[in-house]
Amino acid sequence: MTPYLLRHVLKAVVTLWAIVTVTFVATRLSGNPIDTFLGEGLTAEGRQALIDYFQLDRSLWHQYLAYLRGVLSGEFGLSFVDRRPVTTVVAERLWPSGQLLLSSVALTVAVSLPLGVLAAVYRRSWIGSAVMVVAFTGYAVPSFVLAIVMVLTFSYWLNWLPVVGNGTWLHFIMPTIAMSGVLIAALTRFTRNAMLDVLGQDFIRTARAKGLRETQVVLKHGLGNASITVISVLGLQIAGLAAAGSVVVESIFSWPGVGQMLVNAAILRDYPVLQFGVIAVAVAVVAINILTDIAYALADPRIRLARA
Amino acid sequence: MFRLLLTTALVALPLVAAAQEITVGAANVAPYLDPGRDHSNVGSQFYYNTFDTLIDRDHGKRELEWVPALATSWKLVEPKVMEFKLREGVKFHNGADMTADDVVFSLNRMMQATFPPYVVRAKDRLGNFLRAEKVDDLTVRVVAEREEPLWETLMSLQQVMIVPEAYIKGLTGKADVAEDSDYEAFALAPVGTGPYKVAAFQPGEKLVWERFDDFWGETAPLERATVVQIAETASRVTALKTGEADIITNVAPDQLSLIDSDPNLKTEGSATALFHVMIMNQNHPKLRDPRIRQALSLAIDRDALNEALWLGKAIVPSTHTMAEMGALHQPDLVTFAYDPERARKLLEEAGYDGFEITFDTAATYYTNGLLAAQAIMEMWNAVGINGRVNVQDQWSGNDPEMMVRNWSNPMYFADPFGSFGVMWAPGGPSESEGRFNTDADYAKKWDRFRFSTDVADRNAAYVELMEEIKQDPPLLPLYRPFESWGMKQSVNWAPMPGHIPYVLDFRAGSISFAGN
Repeated sequence: MTPYLLRHVLKAVVTLWAIVTVTFVATRLSGNPIDTFLGEGLTAEGRQALIDYFQLDRSLWHQYLAYLRGVLSGEFGLSFVDRRPVTTVVAERLWPSGQLLLSSVALTVAVSLPLGVLAAVYRRSWIGSAVMVVAFTGYAVPSFVLAIVMVLTFSYWLNWLPVVGNGTWLHFIMPTIAMSGVLIAALTRFTRNAMLDVLGQDFIRTARAKGLRETQVVLKHGLGNASITVISVLGLQIAGLAAAGSVVVESIFSWPGVGQMLVNAAILRDYPVLQFGVIAVAVAVVAINILTDIAYALADPRIRLARA
Repeated sequence: MFRLLLTTALVALPLVAAAQEITVGAANVAPYLDPGRDHSNVGSQFYYNTFDTLIDRDHGKRELEWVPALATSWKLVEPKVMEFKLREGVKFHNGADMTADDVVFSLNRMMQATFPPYVVRAKDRLGNFLRAEKVDDLTVRVVAEREEPLWETLMSLQQVMIVPEAYIKGLTGKADVAEDSDYEAFALAPVGTGPYKVAAFQPGEKLVWERFDDFWGETAPLERATVVQIAETASRVTALKTGEADIITNVAPDQLSLIDSDPNLKTEGSATALFHVMIMNQNHPKLRDPRIRQALSLAIDRDALNEALWLGKAIVPSTHTMAEMGALHQPDLVTFAYDPERARKLLEEAGYDGFEITFDTAATYYTNGLLAAQAIMEMWNAVGINGRVNVQDQWSGNDPEMMVRNWSNPMYFADPFGSFGVMWAPGGPSESEGRFNTDADYAKKWDRFRFSTDVADRNAAYVELMEEIKQDPPLLPLYRPFESWGMKQSVNWAPMPGHIPYVLDFRAGSISFAGN
């Protein structure tokens, strides 16, 4: 187990270094923060004074090395715009994003596992086909389209659901659905395929032969074994969701999370916030991947043994 | 079930509450709140509810009419020294009394600034003031370097709003020294003397004002006002429809009908006191001949832009002044005009050979900015100019390669000095970025325009400056964009003509509710 974990941690460190570096370069290519947050009517002299004050005149190498040093010592700097430590800025937005992610994952699992099993068991009836049609359609609808259609329908026309912020449980409904839509579609299909694989195996025939009830065959032996595939897919998809889905969905629903913060920071060229925000998301993604691998290994002894 | 959902939502949200509480859905909430260092369109929304100046004006009127605020009276005691009598019994939001020391500190933090963001803001508009001095507990003097024709105007700027000295100095480090870090901290925890205190502030996200019961003036009409950032235009309009917001800011022209067609909602708007302008680089090797730049300007039918992009609601100026500037508004002066025939002739005279002229614009920074740029390309094309729109987010106004781009010239205060005068001063933003040249003659005219104590002389100097601008054009003001707010029918609020752009004024007399 230990070398297995170690290799993954090492891989994670290299990944994070690459992310830190790419973020650093990309933010600096996109424009100067002085122009975006100081407004108009700055003289060249005044501009220089502010560049000095915010220490934007150092060479890129200098900034990069200073930044790496900061990252290693846990000092991520101050936001250019509001001058708070970026760790504070990001920290106050992690929980709202986490809440949304958790509710989306919960909804995804609650919907796609039963649907996937249903589609596998009734693969030859209209039920199975109907589930797959819905799943394929859902996969083709991007989260922002789903979000906007829901906003139009349930807020703009029907006036049933609120659109701004995360104040009450009602606020969770549309963002959660928007975040999980694609994921539900994907996971339903994977669950179905994994179930079909498993249900064709010899041990399923054995289970039936020894007289187990069909529900027990399907749920215990079938889903139990299919869950290995499902877990790995879920892990990968959640990672993608945390990174990309939240940016779009949080912006539409003014959700006070990391995704919305990243958009604001990008518009204002607030390098420190943008960098740390991307790193925070990257760490989350990498952590989710490691957890997935561990869960995977736990669920299937073969993997653990083979890789060790 | 759905009725239940709705009811729960209404009960659970503080947003749809008693009429004395409102929620504003703003396109942007400021990242910091310090009136001294700020002059952004985003920040300007928020200062007037929280802070006071020594002198205020009647914002309901377009004409300048000064009213006492934290100073009850003021008079020139020497040609260059103004004495202010301070109001007694004024309290800051933290409970401290406002003293002459606070006033001197507030003014000198700008007039003798050391914190770079203050230095930058003070230089262009407060440069003529040397210092503030305490005379006694209720008297303060401000000393100018030269005779100042705009005392009241400049003493009512957002940048010289009064802030608490002891509170600021005590925020970080030593309690008796004003460090840069004190000002940084103040911008996140602002305290003023205005009718609303900042009860909660999450930068770029949310601002909560609560009525300040010890306010020296008329009690604030709202118990509480919450401003939340709703960056997406469609989400803002929806929030207004669902009742989550009572007022929304920055409604784009094409969204007006969505709101106006709803019987429960309405829009209010005005032509904002700022010009969207087109700037032309006088020092670009290919644009050195003024005739080329004259042609670039004369080819543009700004009235057509107004009709097409702003439904005719914007204002197209003939020169760089605004009605808000009172006696210094010169609507009859024609500096900028549309004359495609003359444009063609000038191009021919200048020997224009069809080289490409780029027009830089960001994709979304200015409302309708990109559309205007594209329309301008067509207008240029009609007189034979080979134009190309270059979309980039980066500011190029200081780039020697920049040929033409868009920009804005806000009215920082109601005087031509507050708009044209700041942006096109000798050594000002335009010249220091290397795209505008002035000489001793221009500087002399600008000096009369800025400092003459005779209004007629200031106007005459302005005319002379405009003649120079016309002969060797560095800019063309396109229009004053029309800015709109959406709100519930029951809310009586509208932007006031006496304010700088975007101010959300919720003071007594500025907002009320139908049926109250």
